[in-house]
Amino acid sequence: MLKGKFKLPDKARRVFPLGSLIAGLDDKGEDESGGYDLVFQSGEELEFIQPNGAEVAKESDYEFQCEFDDDFGINDKMMDKEDAKAPKRSLKDGPGQVSVMEVIAADEKRSDLEHELSQREINLEKLRRIANTGIPEGGGLRAATWKLLLGYLSPSRDLWEKELTGNRQKYAKLKEELLCSPSEVNRVNDDALNSDELNVEGDVAGPLKRHGVSHEDHPLSVGKSSAWHQYFQHTEIADQIDRDLQRTHPNIKFFSGDSSFSRKKRDAMRNILLLFAKLNPAIRYVQGMNEVLAPIFYVFSTDTDQQNAANAEADSFSCFVRLLSDSVDHFCQQLDNSPVGILSTLSRLMDLLKANDEELWRHLESTTKVKPQFYAFRWITLLLTQEFKFQSILRIWDLLLSNPSGVQDMLLRICCAMLLCVKSRLLSGDFVANLRLLQHYPDINIEHLLQVAQDLSPDTVSCPLSL
Amino acid sequence: MVLVLALGDLHIPHRAADLPAKFKSMLVPGKIQHIICTGNLCIKEVHDYLKTLCPDLHITRGEYDEEMRYPETKTLTIGQFKLGLCHGHQVIPWGNLDSLAMLQRQLDVDILVTGHTHQFTAYKHEGGVVINPGSATGAYSSITYDVNPSFVLMDVDGLRVVVYVYELIDGEVKVDKIDFKKTTTTTHSAH
Repeated sequence: MLKGKFKLPDKARRVFPLGSLIAGLDDKGEDESGGYDLVFQSGEELEFIQPNGAEVAKESDYEFQCEFDDDFGINDKMMDKEDAKAPKRSLKDGPGQVSVMEVIAADEKRSDLEHELSQREINLEKLRRIANTGIPEGGGLRAATWKLLLGYLSPSRDLWEKELTGNRQKYAKLKEELLCSPSEVNRVNDDALNSDELNVEGDVAGPLKRHGVSHEDHPLSVGKSSAWHQYFQHTEIADQIDRDLQRTHPNIKFFSGDSSFSRKKRDAMRNILLLFAKLNPAIRYVQGMNEVLAPIFYVFSTDTDQQNAANAEADSFSCFVRLLSDSVDHFCQQLDNSPVGILSTLSRLMDLLKANDEELWRHLESTTKVKPQFYAFRWITLLLTQEFKFQSILRIWDLLLSNPSGVQDMLLRICCAMLLCVKSRLLSGDFVANLRLLQHYPDINIEHLLQVAQDLSPDTVSCPLSL
Repeated sequence: MVLVLALGDLHIPHRAADLPAKFKSMLVPGKIQHIICTGNLCIKEVHDYLKTLCPDLHITRGEYDEEMRYPETKTLTIGQFKLGLCHGHQVIPWGNLDSLAMLQRQLDVDILVTGHTHQFTAYKHEGGVVINPGSATGAYSSITYDVNPSFVLMDVDGLRVVVYVYELIDGEVKVDKIDFKKTTTTTHSAH
């Protein structure tokens, strides 16, 4: 069995530029995630068990699929992923034995991961090492792995049942308490107290009884203590959340569009964000939190385990809170200049760059004066969700979450790697060109990027944070 | 949770200059989903003002309204309730419960909102409710000069409606509430 990297003929590289299978290739020409977007748009997302399974039927006449299906009995989903990716190219270039290697390597990783996840006591170290190299699609592996890496699930499998139900119930209760409108709350209270009274009044005609309203408890009150006033304040936040959700990943059917499916997804995300805003009055809702929530929610909703998928909302809420607990200071404006704020993080990024490539650092800082605030602010606060295609984001997050020294540490390294990977273009550009380049980061080979990130010298990244 | 504002008999500019300041400060856009107005605004400026509070505005014609084209009566369905609207000067004796009940049966509504008397009343009659929001500006009526500014806000929530009554008494806003529960559901009809 072949493991690790090995040299592939050029042709083969072009055929399978799949992120998780090949390392070390800077492949500018190919839009590596184009295939995935195609798949998403083919309208098959409703079957979220097989997000990549759309074009199966059409590829039945491709050479290598027939060859391998019988020989190796390979998991259909694995094949689908590759087929969807490169149907045309395979005909042109000829698959050869290369594809066998790919498939074997990927399959091995999948079975490693499955084996690890099925242990009673899961070894988080091992899990991290596997997740580092990218989690294979399908089978709910990513969902389970992320939950473990974020600390939502404990490493002992026996406790999962209890933990999950406990957490989900807590979420349901929170929703009930905080997301109900005051009239619903009143109705529930009144039903409990006055059910008899109202029935008696039912048949009597005549003037209706007036009850005094205890202070400020009417819909138009502007008093701060009034439940109504708070409710209406939150509708403003809710409106902003709605607007942002409409704009989340508009090219992915899961999130956008008018189908009742995507509307339900948006409603669920809205509940999560609104609940977060209510529980954290200091930060409330900041534009961009929807982007951080999106991958988590997507991965959990597309879990093959039906029960997990149905409870995706509750699970996503907890994991979202955990993920954000590290970087929540970045969202708070008052902390901008403090040692935990965004500016300090940005200067750490610059220090890291300086330690690894002084030439580039000088070029950016002094020559072209492209300050990190202009481009890296979004990279860091939104955990790179706006810079890459959706599938790449999932792959990058695999690495982010599996870093033993924490998400922020790896995030800074990846940002630095992003700068290094376009070094030649940056060095030859001026302020305007560089800014444009960094604000619309070009498509590059993700595996290469992540490899560079992991190879960076770690001196100046002194983040003691861990999840 | 649907908030419906019911008011009327403002008589601006003839008998009153404007809504009381305390009422105006409470009425902000964005909270209310519907406004039903019994009539006698009387001018277009008041109509425009109400439109800024809420785009869904229903008005019936009072005898002093300058806009000729408001209807005499109106019915609408909000949630599980059918509401009827009429100014009330057409129903004689003015403010008489039995006569109003006739109008309610005619319009076939659960809640009938009328005005003209400039006095807040809320009656339960034969399974339906008759509400008079009074005069929002406290303008004098054909019957009396002694009028407190008042209006009504209804919170329609399923089969239950909570009626909040806002009155300006001695310069202070007093709020009362009335609970009303309907016993059967309505089939929705388009209005």
